[in-house]
Amino acid sequence: MTSLIIDTCNSNLTIGIVKDNNILSIYNEQVKTDLSTKIFPVMQDVFVKVGVDPKDIDTIFVSCGPGSFTGIRIGVTVAKTYAWALNKKIIPFSSLELLATTKVKEDYLVPIIDARRGYVYAGIYDEHLDTFMNDQYISIEDLEKSLEGKYYKMISYDEFEKFKVIKPEIDILKLIEKHKKDSGVNPHKINPNYLKLTEAEMKLGEK
Amino acid sequence: MKDVYILAFESSCDETSVSIIKNGYDEIATVVLSQMDIHASYGGVVPEIASRNHVENITMVIEEALTRANMKIEDIDAIAVTYGPGLIGSLLIGMQAAKTLSFLYNKPLVPIHHIAGHIYANNLSKPMEFPLIALVVSGGHTDLIYMKEDYSFEKIGGTLDDAVGEAYDKVARVMGLNYPGGPLVDKLAHQGSDTYNLPLPLDDDTYNFSFSGLKSAVINLVHNELQRGNEMNNVDLATSFQNRVVDILTKKTMRALKEYKVNNLIVAGGVAANKGLREKLEELCEKNNISLTIPPVKYCTDNAAMIGVAGYYAYKLGKTSDLDLNAKASLKLQ
Repeated sequence: MTSLIIDTCNSNLTIGIVKDNNILSIYNEQVKTDLSTKIFPVMQDVFVKVGVDPKDIDTIFVSCGPGSFTGIRIGVTVAKTYAWALNKKIIPFSSLELLATTKVKEDYLVPIIDARRGYVYAGIYDEHLDTFMNDQYISIEDLEKSLEGKYYKMISYDEFEKFKVIKPEIDILKLIEKHKKDSGVNPHKINPNYLKLTEAEMKLGEK
Repeated sequence: MKDVYILAFESSCDETSVSIIKNGYDEIATVVLSQMDIHASYGGVVPEIASRNHVENITMVIEEALTRANMKIEDIDAIAVTYGPGLIGSLLIGMQAAKTLSFLYNKPLVPIHHIAGHIYANNLSKPMEFPLIALVVSGGHTDLIYMKEDYSFEKIGGTLDDAVGEAYDKVARVMGLNYPGGPLVDKLAHQGSDTYNLPLPLDDDTYNFSFSGLKSAVINLVHNELQRGNEMNNVDLATSFQNRVVDILTKKTMRALKEYKVNNLIVAGGVAANKGLREKLEELCEKNNISLTIPPVKYCTDNAAMIGVAGYYAYKLGKTSDLDLNAKASLKLQ
């Protein structure tokens, strides 16, 4: 089985090709505002380097959020268009779960993405990538409360004043292993998981 | 000559649209999914909500267009996409989908300026003849453009503040009409009399437009009258407002035709659907022996068919792009 993995939700752009249990090629670097220009040159490189044709991919694993709204949409649009056009199996995963593949010896792993204004996107995982708290948009205060009395490590590309984080060292093989038996989703139905309404929707809800 | 098929994408605002155009004038299939009803409850387009809807619908819209055309992506010669101007988050969805197909099928990617699309929509009605003047009027644009030949755009004037469609929508709002109110103002304008003493918009010897003064005058008038406990006559107000707008648009357009010695006028953009503007231009063009083209209403609002037409001419001229193409919220037409 040859798989393509795409994550555009985190501050690192990750695109990798995995065959059976080997990483054939991977790009995993920080991108700033140039994600939309960079994704295809990176994709071309990742494919050309190993001589894999885009048509040879069997399954696309795509990260559907949380993270930057625009970032999520770029990866999801590419992945769903790809899967729809070539009739490929597509399997969604969480951008936080990808961070939780970092090798850490601790009871709980807490991947975090800064959502600003005292809020984060966070989930609570263990080393088998099983969840103890589903991914959510949560205030830092509430997150700390829910972690009270637990042994945990926080994992993030972002820096925080209030606590220390471990820099992610993602393991895409672990992520694929966890999800490879998932059933595929209809590409039309693959959509971002923002975990947050737009401000306009929230205001309309208050009325 | 071999037929050329363009698969075109347009997602610059709140319409997700995909079209297949043959040889730059033959519309094989077009799908336009409008989000208008979604945004109506917010009184205007909410950019983040527009982006969210584009990503949910994009592959279904492509599939529907290809199904209606009874074609496969393999049959396509090039892929055209609006790359600006527009809402950046919205533009990015059409663009990433277009790039994905360009990447997978090794098809040339042709970036198209949204306004070039609106202008080329006229080619779906009858072949464009050059040189011509294009009057582009929409919610985001009020431009006069001189075209000497295919794909040569010389902007000779534009709006200094509000676009004409924007002024219409804001005036409609203060009159208590639902969004998008522009077409409703046009409808009312046909039933009233020009009784309100509204100021003339910028009337100088440039080809620029300014509608914010006129818009503010309407807003102030309505507020003052309401404060005095007087009732507004919306019908007459619509007529007065529309007369000022149509007068200045047609005046400067006719002057441009004369000065550039051009006999072809085309009108493009959402406000090209405005009946008051159409009628006045038809009258003036007939009197001055100008050949006037205004696209059918369905090609005046945003659609991918127009991008497919412009895409054909751009492709013929070799105006293709690498896959590092970016979307641009503001973008000069050149």
